[in-house]
Amino acid sequence: MSRRISRRDFVKVGALLGGATAVMLSVPEAFRKYAEAVRAAAQGGENPLAKPESIIYSVCLQCHTACPIKGKILDGVLVKLTGNPYSPQNMTPHIPYKTRLDVAAKIDAYLCVKGQSGIESLYDPYRVIKVLKRAGPRGSNKWKTIPFDQAIKEIVEGGRLFSDVPGEEDRQVPGLKDIWVWGLIRDRGGDPASISADMKSDISKIMAASGDEKARLVEEFKAKWSGELAKYGLKLEDVFIDPDHPDLGTKANQFVFMAGRIEHGRKEFSKRFVIDAFGSINWYEHTTICEQSHHIAYGMISGKHHMKPDILNCEFIIFFGTGAFEANFGPTNMAHKLTKAVVEGGLKFAVVDPRLSKTAAKAWRWVPIKPGTDGAFALGMIRWILENKRYDARYLENANKAAADLDGEPTFTNATYLVKVEDGKLLRASELGIGSDSEYVIMDKETGEPTPVDPNDAENPKEGILLVDTTLNGIRVKSGFQLLYESAMSRSLDEWASICGVSREDIEVLAAEFTSHGKRAVAELYRGPVQHPNGYYNGQAIITLNLLIGNIGWKGGLSKGGGHWHETGSKRKGPFHLSSLHPGKISGFGVKLTREKSKFESSTLSLVEDVPKRPWYPFTSNLYQEILPSAADGYPYRIKILWIHKGTPGFATPAADAQLEILKDVEKVPLIIATDIVLGETTIYADYVFPDIAIWERWGTPHTSPDVNTKASKVRQPMVAPLVDTCRVFGEEMPISMEAIMLAIAEKLGLPGYGSDGFGPGMPFTRMEDYYLKMVANIAAGDKVGDEVPDADDEELRIFREARKHLPKTVFDEERWHRAVIDPEGNDWWRKVVYVLNRGGRFEDADKAYDGEYLTHRFTGLLNLYVEKVGSYYSKYMGVRFSGVPVYVPPYIDSKGRPIRDDEYPLILITYKEIYGGQSRTPGNYWILSVMPENHILINKKTAEELGLKDGDVVRIVSASNPDGVWPLGDGPYIKNRYVEGKVKVTGGIAPGVVAVSWHYGHFGYGASDCEIDGVVIKGDYRRGLGLCPNAVMRRDPVLGNVCLTDPIGGSASFFDTRVKLVKVS
Amino acid sequence: MVDGLRRPNGSETSRLGRREFLKGALLGAAVTVGVLSGDLSLRVAAQPSPPAESLALDRESELVRMTRELQESLKKPLQERKWVMVIDLRRCVGCHSCTVSCIAENKTPPGITYRPVMIWETGEYPNVKLNFLPRPCMQCDEPPCTSVCPVNATWKREDGIVVIDYGKCIGCRYCVMACPYGARSTDYGYEWVPELEHGPLAGTAAKERQDRVKSLEYQPTPWYGGPYGRGDTIGITRKCHFCIHRIESGVLPACVSTCIGGATYFGDLNNPNSLVNELLRRYGAFRLKEELGTEPSVYYITGEGGASVISELEAMVDRYREEVLLREFGGRFRAGLGGGGLE
Repeated sequence: MSRRISRRDFVKVGALLGGATAVMLSVPEAFRKYAEAVRAAAQGGENPLAKPESIIYSVCLQCHTACPIKGKILDGVLVKLTGNPYSPQNMTPHIPYKTRLDVAAKIDAYLCVKGQSGIESLYDPYRVIKVLKRAGPRGSNKWKTIPFDQAIKEIVEGGRLFSDVPGEEDRQVPGLKDIWVWGLIRDRGGDPASISADMKSDISKIMAASGDEKARLVEEFKAKWSGELAKYGLKLEDVFIDPDHPDLGTKANQFVFMAGRIEHGRKEFSKRFVIDAFGSINWYEHTTICEQSHHIAYGMISGKHHMKPDILNCEFIIFFGTGAFEANFGPTNMAHKLTKAVVEGGLKFAVVDPRLSKTAAKAWRWVPIKPGTDGAFALGMIRWILENKRYDARYLENANKAAADLDGEPTFTNATYLVKVEDGKLLRASELGIGSDSEYVIMDKETGEPTPVDPNDAENPKEGILLVDTTLNGIRVKSGFQLLYESAMSRSLDEWASICGVSREDIEVLAAEFTSHGKRAVAELYRGPVQHPNGYYNGQAIITLNLLIGNIGWKGGLSKGGGHWHETGSKRKGPFHLSSLHPGKISGFGVKLTREKSKFESSTLSLVEDVPKRPWYPFTSNLYQEILPSAADGYPYRIKILWIHKGTPGFATPAADAQLEILKDVEKVPLIIATDIVLGETTIYADYVFPDIAIWERWGTPHTSPDVNTKASKVRQPMVAPLVDTCRVFGEEMPISMEAIMLAIAEKLGLPGYGSDGFGPGMPFTRMEDYYLKMVANIAAGDKVGDEVPDADDEELRIFREARKHLPKTVFDEERWHRAVIDPEGNDWWRKVVYVLNRGGRFEDADKAYDGEYLTHRFTGLLNLYVEKVGSYYSKYMGVRFSGVPVYVPPYIDSKGRPIRDDEYPLILITYKEIYGGQSRTPGNYWILSVMPENHILINKKTAEELGLKDGDVVRIVSASNPDGVWPLGDGPYIKNRYVEGKVKVTGGIAPGVVAVSWHYGHFGYGASDCEIDGVVIKGDYRRGLGLCPNAVMRRDPVLGNVCLTDPIGGSASFFDTRVKLVKVS
Repeated sequence: MVDGLRRPNGSETSRLGRREFLKGALLGAAVTVGVLSGDLSLRVAAQPSPPAESLALDRESELVRMTRELQESLKKPLQERKWVMVIDLRRCVGCHSCTVSCIAENKTPPGITYRPVMIWETGEYPNVKLNFLPRPCMQCDEPPCTSVCPVNATWKREDGIVVIDYGKCIGCRYCVMACPYGARSTDYGYEWVPELEHGPLAGTAAKERQDRVKSLEYQPTPWYGGPYGRGDTIGITRKCHFCIHRIESGVLPACVSTCIGGATYFGDLNNPNSLVNELLRRYGAFRLKEELGTEPSVYYITGEGGASVISELEAMVDRYREEVLLREFGGRFRAGLGGGGLE
């Protein structure tokens, strides 16, 4: 359904007076005032925007790269966004931190197209500014406005909340108070803090035990706690979800907080509420629909979540999947370095990607690979490198810190450590009687004898033999390097090439080039190779390439990034150690709904079922796609209340059709509340929608891409007055926001850690600034004594106030802000906080990036070429043991690991990101839409010829799990089912047999559809909904049925594997 | 036939006499292309010492250096400045940050794009290429657009920037037709932001904030004509002006400071030590449609072998210009979806 809007519909020049209300200036009046401000400031030819008094530095979030931004404000309006010159993300080298504000005011740094367009997201007419309650069935997009206080009362107390909705007249909706069991205990005289801690400790004992002992401990637990709870007149079933399985936790776990994008600052703020105050362990963010398996692969190998090339000093980079110019982490910081290094530094780079991205367009070599076979490509390279002895043997033989130190290597690997073939565990020295439990075993390079090795030993260098395959004391062992060798040699180069759909030469050339630059080559990845069921192994294989040349920590090698000053005060244990400043903190416990970070064998469910009903995910977390399906299946338990925050599982998750079906079902998810800045695709299915403050109106402390080699702590802060209504909580007026709702619920339930003594005696937590400013103070104070920033002088204080004079008291109240940063010892951090806020964060100077031939902030120590944790784990659900070295597993497999055959669907669907769109954040950015109004279905010329398709043909995408290619949105007057349809674009820039659709078009929410509020229909804008989003046809898991394909190790959702067919529509 | 392509009879400003020098420099540069030090400032001393010029390029961010040079040039009288832009196509990543930054900076309406980036594909799979070409106003030394103005509303300033007095322009569009680069277009007063009732959604409260922020070109400022401008530019012609309101305050043009590929440079050609001069000397450059004698102030660096694509780039400019003219004179303007680039 597309409809044309005539110019008249949305252009009403001269009709601007109509909607103005008393609280705002009429437009001509405002315009006149603005014009006067400009004129006044422009006396003498000075642009008012070039003065520090017009500037507030903050942090973007149009994508997760979260670039520091400079906001230029005139007459209270955010006029222009640009990059912050103090920040290493926005230019290289960035200006020294001490640079005067008036000098910095005249330097605008780089900022990408999305960041520039932030003004349109901020001042989006479709922003929700009042609390909306559903006035029809879920998804009807019919709403009524209700007062904030009433909304809080209803979600806290529950009841027959939708008695006016047909079919829900008698439905009793649970409220938060019904599952906040700690309130019951507190009200009856118990101490939730100590009781929860005690229970948590007992539960961990149960989980650590096995077999009969586990069963016995459960009985013991029940006996103990039925007695304890009886003191307060409570029974086990009043408190626990299932008293027979106390490790599932308390009923508080039936409250689930599901954030799409949430970043540091808000992460800590919301975890304090969900986990430490409410006591639910079900706090989630979206990471598995992003690039989680890449984090898990890095984490298993190094303990760090990710690393990036030191681009400026690299000589060769291979980008697997997303490159530096469009997405990744992220374009602003990586693009300028990459182009500079190519033009001035002699860098070459290759891109391995089924699609010719803009990065690939500038590459020395583009390798159009078959989706999901990146691991095979890397294993092919590994084979070539091993066969041609192009690996750094000297580096890999080092088995402990002492040996690495001798060679001047920041890191070493466990390549030579012996692995027991039988169970995949590393052989311990104690097993041979030659050392302790904490020592491993290598075959000594000199003696050829098994020798104990302590990785952290800095005194006695140990070097091992790389290839070992032997039996010691009857134990069959191989070295990790041997296992890698066997995996790489399991197929010939031609076979590897054939799996990938590339030529053998592609593998050879890249492998040769990669090993021709010493430490100055990097194999880089983000989400492309890992959003597959085999994603973890793909990621591991690519990272392993880096291990073979030992580039981590070297200048021009792989960098863990400069890191940050710890905003929670965790390093310095002050001035505001936020986790300690929480009187009455609850200890949340139990198995998470998604069974992440838990082993089935440890749970009490293993006492009653041999094979779990749904998979468990011991190695990963934030398993976004699994939240709703688990709730729907009630495995391991049912949930009562879901809070969806800045997220859209019904749109952004693969097999989104399945997610939508669950969202629509009030039995499966009885209460859904949402915080959003618009009526988003998923928010439409919520019961209550609370307006949220937008990025440019709020706080945050996002962390920095590791591609930045100096230390950086970014601070997001309000630049302008929020558009949303205000509310009153703890007697204070504040904008309605995620934070205000949490404070309001805390006030209503009396959650610990909030109110006038929320952080401790005399330290109130009644406003969001109370929390965030303490984080800023921690950043200003640094990680240790003596690490503080300078004080802001009087001139800086003047500029600080002047730049904020447009902010209302509900946002900026200097006296109140100042009070929030006086620490428990009475030290006043205000001037240091101002110094940081005046620069949008804290940034180490550029000259600190390198330490001779090394990165200053380098990773040091052990890297797991063999990952014991994974390699020794047997999955009962799948019936297999995982591998400790990268192996090739086909990408298109079900949750049991069996290949999926969708023979009648011959094409492979992939998605990608243009730089023009940031997930679900940019549909209202008309400036960007003018550059690219809609997306297309990209196919290769050859494929198009075979299918008889040409440019502009409209086709429907269908798959085995969605053979009609339909978005099951509903049948209401405003939101109806629609097809996954779009226009074909034939290109030479994609591998034959692959269908690519860029992600961030095809919206049906976010102002793209009409909605009804208080009986008035508000027209959608068709421009926001052009193009298509293919998530609804992405393959459902054939075994589980209600979720997409998922990587069993890293948890990543499959975005790039679905076999599809194109059906011509017109 | 487009009449505007004829060379104007005379130039409105005195020529600066730099061009001959520059041409010589460009000839010389053809030899030196590719002879780079390969060194970045952040490198270690183990590398052979780079030429002083290279170090100068790398000691500070290009943005800082260009800002400093800009502020130095502002101390000279207007007629002694010669603003040029240098676009290194090797570093352009086709991201349109410049396009959108310009829209945001100058509050141009739908349909007006001061700085489009053209993107097109060439070659056959798998030997396929994407090409990117940003196109600001060329700020020609011999601008074909100014002499056709019947009311003298547009002229070349002494510092090389071709401006329009928005108070004088009558919207006849002769200049639109005359520009061989498609760099001028008419402001039809279209709006980006849809109108919604102010209520539970932000509606007009949000729109009002976007609308209130009118272009500085409208404003009663010293930069864009008339003592007090005219309050809007609807119905008249608009064009890129290198962000006079920024450069005269010592701030780089928006497209330069936001270019995430680091491809766009700005500076004073009259300063022999400026970064732009250094880049031109080092890499050589070409200008679009040199044969027309318009003497553009925008230079493109293509790097080795890049000269062979000049005619292709110029063909893209022609196609873009055709679109502009079709829109202006063929009535095919699609409201709300104009601008941007050709893909």
